[in-house]
Amino acid sequence: MTATNWDPSQPILEIDHLSISFFTRLREIPAVMDFSCKVMPGEAMGLVGESGCGKSTVALAVMRDLGKNGRIVGGTIKFKGRDLTTMSDEELRHIRGKEIAMIYQEPMASLNPAMKIGKQLMEVPMIHEGISAEEARKRALEVVRDVRLPDPERIVNAFPHQLSGGQQQRIVIAMALMSKPSLLILDEPTTALDVTVEAAVVDLVKDLGKKYGTSMLFISHNLGLVLEVCNRLCVMYSGEAVETGSIVDVFNKMQHPYTQALFRSIPLPGADKNARPLVAIPGNFPLPHERPKGCNFGPRCSYFQSGLCDAGDIPMVPIAGDERHESRCRRVDEIDWTAKPKVKQGAARGEIGKVVLKMEDVKKYYEVSSGMFGGGLKKVVKANETLSFEAHEGETLAIVGESGCGKSTFAKVLMGLETATDGKIMLYDRDIQNTPIEKRTTETVSGVQMVFQNPFDTLNPSMTVGRQIIRALEIFGEGANDAERTARMLELLDLVKLPRSFADRMPRQLSGGQKQRVGIARAFAGGAKVVVADEPVSALDVSVQAAVTDLLMEIQRKNKTTLLFISHDLSIVRYLSDRVMVMYLGHVVEIGTTDQVFSPPYHPYTEALLSAVPIADTHVTKRHIVLEGEIPSAMNPPPGCPFQTRCHWKSKVAGGLCEKEVPPMRKIASGHEIKCHLPDAEFANMEPVIAIAAE
Amino acid sequence: METAMEPLAWGAILATILRLFLPVWIALIATFALSITFKRRLGLYGKLFDSTVGMIGFAFVMFWVFTALFAPLIETRDVLSQIAQMKNALPGTPVPDGSGHYLLGGDNLGRDVFSRMVAGSRIVIQIAPMATMFAFMVGVTLGLPAGYYGGLFDTGLSFLANLVLAFPVILLFYLLVTPEIVETGLPQYLAVVLFVLPLLFLVLLVNSRYYVTPGFRNMVIAVILVLGGWAYLSLVSEADTKVSVLPQALDFIHMPANILIVFVSVVFVNAPTVFRIVRGLVLDIKTRDYVSAAQTRGERPWYIMLWEILPNARGPLIVDFCLRIGYTTILLGTLGFFGLGLSPESPDWGSTINAGRKLLTIAPWPALVPAIALMSLVLGLNLLADGLREESLKD
Repeated sequence: MTATNWDPSQPILEIDHLSISFFTRLREIPAVMDFSCKVMPGEAMGLVGESGCGKSTVALAVMRDLGKNGRIVGGTIKFKGRDLTTMSDEELRHIRGKEIAMIYQEPMASLNPAMKIGKQLMEVPMIHEGISAEEARKRALEVVRDVRLPDPERIVNAFPHQLSGGQQQRIVIAMALMSKPSLLILDEPTTALDVTVEAAVVDLVKDLGKKYGTSMLFISHNLGLVLEVCNRLCVMYSGEAVETGSIVDVFNKMQHPYTQALFRSIPLPGADKNARPLVAIPGNFPLPHERPKGCNFGPRCSYFQSGLCDAGDIPMVPIAGDERHESRCRRVDEIDWTAKPKVKQGAARGEIGKVVLKMEDVKKYYEVSSGMFGGGLKKVVKANETLSFEAHEGETLAIVGESGCGKSTFAKVLMGLETATDGKIMLYDRDIQNTPIEKRTTETVSGVQMVFQNPFDTLNPSMTVGRQIIRALEIFGEGANDAERTARMLELLDLVKLPRSFADRMPRQLSGGQKQRVGIARAFAGGAKVVVADEPVSALDVSVQAAVTDLLMEIQRKNKTTLLFISHDLSIVRYLSDRVMVMYLGHVVEIGTTDQVFSPPYHPYTEALLSAVPIADTHVTKRHIVLEGEIPSAMNPPPGCPFQTRCHWKSKVAGGLCEKEVPPMRKIASGHEIKCHLPDAEFANMEPVIAIAAE
Repeated sequence: METAMEPLAWGAILATILRLFLPVWIALIATFALSITFKRRLGLYGKLFDSTVGMIGFAFVMFWVFTALFAPLIETRDVLSQIAQMKNALPGTPVPDGSGHYLLGGDNLGRDVFSRMVAGSRIVIQIAPMATMFAFMVGVTLGLPAGYYGGLFDTGLSFLANLVLAFPVILLFYLLVTPEIVETGLPQYLAVVLFVLPLLFLVLLVNSRYYVTPGFRNMVIAVILVLGGWAYLSLVSEADTKVSVLPQALDFIHMPANILIVFVSVVFVNAPTVFRIVRGLVLDIKTRDYVSAAQTRGERPWYIMLWEILPNARGPLIVDFCLRIGYTTILLGTLGFFGLGLSPESPDWGSTINAGRKLLTIAPWPALVPAIALMSLVLGLNLLADGLREESLKD
C-alpha cells in the first residue's frame, strides 16, 4: 500500500476552504461555500443542518463522488495529509471503502438484493487486502458479531430482504467496518429506523467508534443524536458552516444566531405550548441561486443590521477563550448571548369540553391468505386489539408508537376507509364504526379529517393549490357558488398564514412547510371537529416544524378542534399534547395525561421509548435503556403480553405470567391506565428516565 | 413549355424536391424558432428543446406532419392517374405530354412515386395517431379501475389482456377481413363497443368532477352526449350494413369498412399493453397521500382515478404514446403489406411498399421511397419518445 508520512497527531481529515458547485443547464449552483473543518483521529464530528444546507454534499466530496454535474471549485480536502481533490481514480480506489467508508440513509439501497450477506461482506477485504475467502469469511462472522446481530451464521447466509430494517443497517455498518477504515462517514444512518431501533444503532456506532478507534463524520438533522454520538459539531446553513466547536461549547454557549434560533425552535423539556411556546424561525430557507448578499441567514435573523450583515462575505472568526470554536457572524461580539428569549404572550389554555369521540373495544383484524390462489392457510393479523379511549373537544390526544403498532389502521378505521371488526366508535352521538366513508353523511365526513405525513405527497402535483382547497369545499357542500367558495378558499389561506397569491401556484412551487399548511387548510375546509394528524411535522425541517406545530395549535384553539396527533417523536408529543396514548403491536399499553405518562410509573415500553428519544440538551441526563431485538410482526405476535419479547422487567413478574396472558388494563391513577402484569410495588419504585440538571 | 424534356439528373431531382417541400421547411423553422424562444414557459414540451435527440426526433415527426398538412401543395401529379409509358420509369423521367417529371420515378402501374409518397403521409398521419388515441382511451378506461380496485376484477381483466396479447396478431387481422366475417357484421359490432368507450370516458371525466355542481354538470354532459353521440352513431352507422341506425342525411362521417377494420385491429393489439401500463402506474400512484386525502374527504372512485391519479401518470403515458404511434405506423404498413385494411390503390406507405416489392430487383424505387419515409417517421417518433423520457426525468 502507499506509504504515507502521516503523523497520527495531525488531523485525519482536514477540509480547507472547500467550495462545491453543481452545474445545471441554467446556471452554476454553489452548494457549499468556503467550508473548513478538521477531524482528529478518534474524534466524532457532527455535521448538522436542515435539508439543502450542503451537509451531504460535503460527505460526497470527501468520497469524491459528486456525480457528473458536481465539481469541487476551490479548496482542498486532505486525508491523512494527502489531498483528495487532486488524486487519480486509481489512488481513490485504494482509499474508498478501505480507509474511508460511508454509511447511507437507506440500508436496503446500500445492499445488493441478489447477493447473500456473507458474500457482500467478504468482498470488501478480498478486494482491498487480497486475503483468502476463508479468512474473509472469518472476519465477516466476527464483524457481524461485533454489530450485535444474533446468530451470525444464519445472518451471513441470508439475503438482505430476509432481515429487518434495523438488521440491514447493522449489516451496512458491518460492511463499512470490514476493512477497518480510519474514517467513517455516516449520512443520516438512522433516519429510516424506528426510535428504539435507532437508539440501539446509535449505541452500537458509539461503541464501535471507541473499539476500532475510527474517526467519524456524522451527518444528521437531529441535534439530539449529534449530542449523543459526537465530540464536536459543525452547524451548516445554506451551504456555509456557520458555527463549529465542541459539543459543550456549541450547545451551551452558542455564538451564532442560527444555532440559537435552531435550539429555540425544538421542543426541549420545559417548553410548553401555552406558557413557553417554541420560537419558530421566520421565513424560508433561501434557494441556492437566490441567496442574499452577505450573511445567508440575514433575512431571517432577529439581530440583522442592514449595512453590516449584508455588506459582503463574512469570514469565520474564532471565539476567544474556547478551543477551536468559530462562528460566522459580524455581530458575534455585540450580541448578548445569555439573554433569555422574549417570551411571546402565552396563549390562554384552550378549554377542554365534552366528549366528542369515543372508542370502545374497537378491534380490527385482517385476514391474510397464503398460497397462490387465495387458498392455503388463512392467517389473522390483529392490527388493533380492544382500543378504548375518549377524546374531548379542544383536546390534543397524542398516539405514540413505532411502525407496526397499529396507528395507521386506527386512523383508517376512524376515517371510514375500513370498517371495524368489532367494537363501537361514537362521534358525538352517532355510531360510525360500521359506516364506510361512502355511506357517511357529508357532515360526518367533513367533521373527521386528516393531515398527512409526507408534505411532498399530500398535494396532487397536477392541480393548483387553490383548486385543491376549492375541491374540498365543493365536496363538503360549503358555499353556494364558485364565487363564495373562492372567497372561502382565500380565507382558509389566511388561516394557515399563506399569501393569497399562492392560490394559483402549483404544489411543486411550494416548500415542504408551505405544502403542509395547504394540507391543513384543506383538512379544515369543512370545519372539521376531529382532525387526525399523522406525523404532520416529522418530515419537515426543524426550523419549520415549530411554525407548523404552532399553526395547528392556534387553529385548534380557535375552532375547538379535537386533535389526534399521531407521532413517534416524544419531544413534540410532550410539548403539545394534553393526553398521551402509547401503542405497541395493536395494543394500547398506556394512556394518561401527558404528565402521568412522562413520569413514573411507566409501562416498560414507554420507559424504553422515553430513553430512546434523543434530547438536544446537555443538562438532561437519561437512564440508559436499550431494547434488544426487533418489533415482532403483527402476523405472528408473541403469546401473552405483546411486549414480553423485549421487556426488561419480565423477570420481576412471577410465574412467567407475561408469556401466558395478555395483561389487563390497570388503573394507576385517575385517568392513567397501564397494560402490565408488574406488581404495584415495582411500579412504585420506578425511577424517572429523564432528569434535568439545574442550569 | 418544351415538348421534349430532358430527364433530370440526381442533383436536379434533389433540388426540385427540396424546393417542393418549401412550405414544410418554412413551417418547421417557424415552429422551432417559436418553441426555442419560449421554451422555458412551455413545460415538458419546452424541455424537449434542451435535448438534441428529442429535437431531432421532433423535427422528423413534424416534417411528416407538415408534409401531410401541405400535401396538395407538394404533390406534383395526381396520385391515381396512370401513364402507361411511365411504368417503372427511372427517377427524373419526363412525362410524355411535357407537363413535368416523375421525380422519383414511376411504379408498376405508371403512377408518380413521389406524389404517392407525399399523399401517403396524409393517410398515415391521419390514421396512426387517431387509432393510437382510441387504443389509449380503451386501455386507460379499463386499466384505471383494474389497478384501483384490484381483486377479482383486476385478475379477470389482466387475464383477458394476456389472452389477447397471446393471440397471433396476423391471424386476427386475416380473420377480421374475411368476407364471411365482415358479412356477419362482427368488425362493426366490435366498433360499436370500442368507440363507445371514449364517450363513456368523457362523461365519467366530467361527471366525477362536476357532480357537486349539478347545473353546470348537466349542461356539459348534454353537450357531450349530443355532439359525441352524433359523432359516435355516425361513425359506427353505415348505410346498407348490419349497423345502420342513423338516417343517411345525418350520417356525416363515412368511414369505409376497411378503415374501420384498421381501427379495430390497432385498438385490439395496443389496448391490452396500454391497459397493463396504466394498471401498473395506478398501483403505484394510489398509495400516495393525496389519494388517501381524496378518499378521506369522501371522493368517489372515478374522481380519484380520473382527476387524482391519471394526470399524475401522464409522463410515462405521453412517452408510450409516441412510441405507440410508431408501432401503429408500422402496423399500418404491415396491414397494407398483407393487402389487409386499406384499398389496394391507396397511396399509404404499407400498400405501396407491398406493390413495389414484386419488382424490387428491376425497379427498387417504388418500394424504397415509401420504406424510407416510413422508417424516418418511426425513427423520429422513437427519438422523440426518448427525448421526452429523458427530459421528464430531469428537473
